[in-house]
Amino acid sequence: MLKQDSKLINVGIAEIVVSKSPTLLRTTLGSCIGIVLYQPETKIGGISHIMLAQDSMGKDKVKNPGKYGETALPLLIKALEDEGAKPGTYSARIFGGSSMFKNISSQFLQNIGENNIAYVREELAKRKIPLLVEDVGGHEGRTITLYLDDGRVLLKKAGMEKYLYKVR
Amino acid sequence: MKEQIDLLLKDIKKLPTMSGVVGRVLNLVSNPDANINEVASEISKDPAITASIIKLSNSAYYRASKPVRTVAEAIMTLGLHTVKEMIMVSASKGVLQQDLKGYQLEADQMWMHSLVVAEIARNIVTLKKLPIPKDLAFTAGLLHDIGKVVLVQFFPRKVLDIRDELKHMESTFTEIEKKHFGYDHQEVGLKVLSAWNFPEELKEVVAYHHNPEEAKNFQLLTSVIHIANALTVISGIGIDIGGINQELSSFALKKTGITEKDIEALFMGIPEVQKQLQEMPKG
Repeated sequence: MLKQDSKLINVGIAEIVVSKSPTLLRTTLGSCIGIVLYQPETKIGGISHIMLAQDSMGKDKVKNPGKYGETALPLLIKALEDEGAKPGTYSARIFGGSSMFKNISSQFLQNIGENNIAYVREELAKRKIPLLVEDVGGHEGRTITLYLDDGRVLLKKAGMEKYLYKVR
Repeated sequence: MKEQIDLLLKDIKKLPTMSGVVGRVLNLVSNPDANINEVASEISKDPAITASIIKLSNSAYYRASKPVRTVAEAIMTLGLHTVKEMIMVSASKGVLQQDLKGYQLEADQMWMHSLVVAEIARNIVTLKKLPIPKDLAFTAGLLHDIGKVVLVQFFPRKVLDIRDELKHMESTFTEIEKKHFGYDHQEVGLKVLSAWNFPEELKEVVAYHHNPEEAKNFQLLTSVIHIANALTVISGIGIDIGGINQELSSFALKKTGITEKDIEALFMGIPEVQKQLQEMPKG
């Protein structure tokens, strides 16, 4: 149930949103990845909805940094720390990265989900941000809602929904 | 289950309704020598559509070069085909912007999905210089999932079976629909458009957008919508309970000449498409 004072913000494709309790952040994912960062003491958290790991041409990422993991993750981290979360005190959860059911006709679409997952895992490890939970891959669509009051995530997919409470 | 759906499909009163003006205008406009005054006077029979055309004409999305006050002015300033497109946006919004609970889709997501598919379809026609009127591609994209609006009523009794089926992931979602309802959303959509007396090309798109190779006379248009829909679903916009349980038809790629590079460009352009569509008036 939504509390009266909680504000729900939809995080669109290629958007980065950081906020604090009692706000709710929601996003819907296909092959894209929703990177969730949360700091349990300050109740500050954010979601970055990336479409692709890296910009192969190198131009679009300047204009639209939120689309690519390589530019979006640093921005998400910066926004979180600007808001007051200290480095080393927050952790990550990742969702999405689905792929098509059967699709041999486009390498790009075939691999996009898996590539996104691998890239984000690697980048988080490089930055020593603990990855607490992941629900990735498969062919499902996922809608995640991050409740900043305690950091839980409501995950909806394939006709089911569950709360994930692990935040540290 | 199939018998119950058959009963519903036979009763035109139980199907979603669309102003009779829409079918008549679509048919008038499909004639290359359409008479502007005749079209304008037909549109003005529906006050809600008339008001909506004027509002859309003056919106940031359509950007009329000067203020539009009447339907005739809208046609003169923006052209007959753009006005037809606005009629479709205005008339189908009431039908498509609905919560589809069984599909796990909220009204705004369903509507945004329909608009994004419409806009990408138009972009594909432009990009590949295909011999398809752009407003036709847009309209076909807008309506492709109309069958879901009807089929959703039958989900509550089947949702547990469907969930179970989804765990195995052995079939596409249209196959799952067909197995449990006797119909998939494409077949139901075809019945709806037939009841509305909509043109053949739109009926084919609705009926075959997951299997464009099976379309009869309008394979190119159906292929365009197939690709636009696949890209939109993968991006997560309007992705439903079926997830990405669908295929990308290599037939459609060949038919439209869409390359791997085009796919990447169209896919990565989706946020801009969505931003543009947000300039459409909400009300």
